[in-house]
Amino acid sequence: MTKVIETRDLLRKFGSEETEVIALDHVSIDIEEGEFTAIIGPSGSGKTTLLHLIGGLDEPDSGAVYLSGTNIAQMSGNELSDFRRDHIGFIFQAYNLIPVLSAEENIEYIMLLQGVPAAKRKARVQEMLAMVGLEGLGDRRPAHLSGGQQQRVAVARAMASNPDIILADEPTANLDSKTGISLLDVMRELNEQQNMTFVFSTHDQKIMDRATRLIHLRDGAVEKDERK
Amino acid sequence: MLTLRIAFRNILRQKRRSLLTGLSMTGGYMLFVFSFSLLEGSYGNLIDIFTLDNTGHVQVHKDDYLDKPKIYKSIQDRQQLEKVLEGNPSVKSYTPRVFSPALAYGDDKTSPARVIGIDPKREPTVSRLEEKISSGQYFGSNPDADGYFEAMIGHGLAISLKVDVGDELVLISQGADGSIANDIYIVSAIIGNRTSFDRMAVYLPLGAAQLFLSLGNDVHEYAMLVDNKRRNLEIAAELQATLPELTVSPWQEVEATFYRTMQSDKQSNHFMMGLIVFIVFIGVLNTVLMSVLERTREFGVLRAIGARPDSLVRLITLETSILAMASVLVGLVLISPYIYWVTEVGFLIPEPIDMSGIEFQHLKGEFSLRVFLLPMAFILATAIVISIPPGIRAARILPKEALGSH
Repeated sequence: MTKVIETRDLLRKFGSEETEVIALDHVSIDIEEGEFTAIIGPSGSGKTTLLHLIGGLDEPDSGAVYLSGTNIAQMSGNELSDFRRDHIGFIFQAYNLIPVLSAEENIEYIMLLQGVPAAKRKARVQEMLAMVGLEGLGDRRPAHLSGGQQQRVAVARAMASNPDIILADEPTANLDSKTGISLLDVMRELNEQQNMTFVFSTHDQKIMDRATRLIHLRDGAVEKDERK
Repeated sequence: MLTLRIAFRNILRQKRRSLLTGLSMTGGYMLFVFSFSLLEGSYGNLIDIFTLDNTGHVQVHKDDYLDKPKIYKSIQDRQQLEKVLEGNPSVKSYTPRVFSPALAYGDDKTSPARVIGIDPKREPTVSRLEEKISSGQYFGSNPDADGYFEAMIGHGLAISLKVDVGDELVLISQGADGSIANDIYIVSAIIGNRTSFDRMAVYLPLGAAQLFLSLGNDVHEYAMLVDNKRRNLEIAAELQATLPELTVSPWQEVEATFYRTMQSDKQSNHFMMGLIVFIVFIGVLNTVLMSVLERTREFGVLRAIGARPDSLVRLITLETSILAMASVLVGLVLISPYIYWVTEVGFLIPEPIDMSGIEFQHLKGEFSLRVFLLPMAFILATAIVISIPPGIRAARILPKEALGSH
């Protein structure tokens, strides 16, 4: 199996000298292609920080992140933006859709950034909407969608660019149980069908139940790493 | 297209705020157009007054006659010069002139005077001399039955010498050959009023003046009007290239002091207009910055999903430009009829202004493309410039901080 994510000795601290908090304490993990991994642990254990470092949204104080063998610290700002655009899909706890865009346009936007021709974009948007079960709701703006529907749009947006890795930060935290399960099933299906690599940060037992691997974090360090 | 849609929707997101910001830009644009039109109109009128009253748009002299006039610095090969002027399609009309200082005698008074020899037929095609006749009539080229040539004299000179239409006038001067020049003329008309630049002038038919000053067929000046007065510098340069042995001067050189004063006045006015636009755009900057701050999270998301920093700068610039464009278009629709009225009718001045014997009762503007387009370009350029700092701010937003978590 190919390693798509490698972290080496990641150290991330926050705050000044007096109030310093070590969010990640020399974390080294490898995640292989097609894994459905959940990073779990209590609040403040460093789950989201690890996800942000993997996604290049934050920089470590020391250590390195390799994505498909490339050290992302060596990329320029634009290269990193392009890398995120083409290889990483993000799903956020608070959905984070662009409020002035419809569901379709939210999904389309990332492909616009990629320079995909309009006709191809439109077709892909419809495909994504069908995949997350939102046919017929594409013209609605986020304010006119339920939380579950918004998170489905966020999943579709993350998938639209056909990334290698999906990073999902507590994706079911704001959803009711039924909606959460339904969304997870969609993601699991995509993982199985397209061999996309999923990494979740979560407290949610439902995700843990479906994950093929659980990485336990405590106080910024890997406590346990179990494959099912 | 999607980017354009996002920009439009972001503008419409806070309708009231966008409306107020747009109105401030509309107001700034209208004020700019109005001031610019009035400034250009007023100076346009002034330039017309002295170019049509005396200088023309372009003049031709021998050597440095304009700075150091001497009677012997005359244009000799008139035929060649006129051929060049006739052959240039930009030259609308031209007229030759001669000049000399003289002593004028009236009934029992004397006064210094300036003799100006003009071609009676050509002069009205270049200057408004004929319109400035306050009494009497415009003269012809030929002497009367008794052999006397006619002269038209300035209002000031007529008062000094106590002469009127039909009276005799004696002129004494020095000829180009060094001889004493003297002759008697019959006053055919009084020109202008006390404020006219030529109040102490004696106009003679060109042939009579050349005879009086022993100039043969020579003249001192050719004044001309061109088809497009805004191109006069260019046309003067063209003529200079074909007339290397003569000196071609646009009115800006002939009336250099006025031109410099006008330029300096225009610059201070432009500075004031720029200041007004700057004040307007401080408000616009504040609005755009506020809008960026409000959308910090969105920009963080866009950066996270792969938007390059420069694409966010472009988005902010596009939004500001669209608002600015809409504002100036509204301003254009609102101000155009008013500028048209100011240009055609103008403001009534309580006390008419006398300029070289021509009375002006209205302060008028200018209705032209540049009056509308220049402020438009300035407002749009300022909008783009002003949107760059907020754009940079948006581009520098760190996704991690914008998403508010660690």
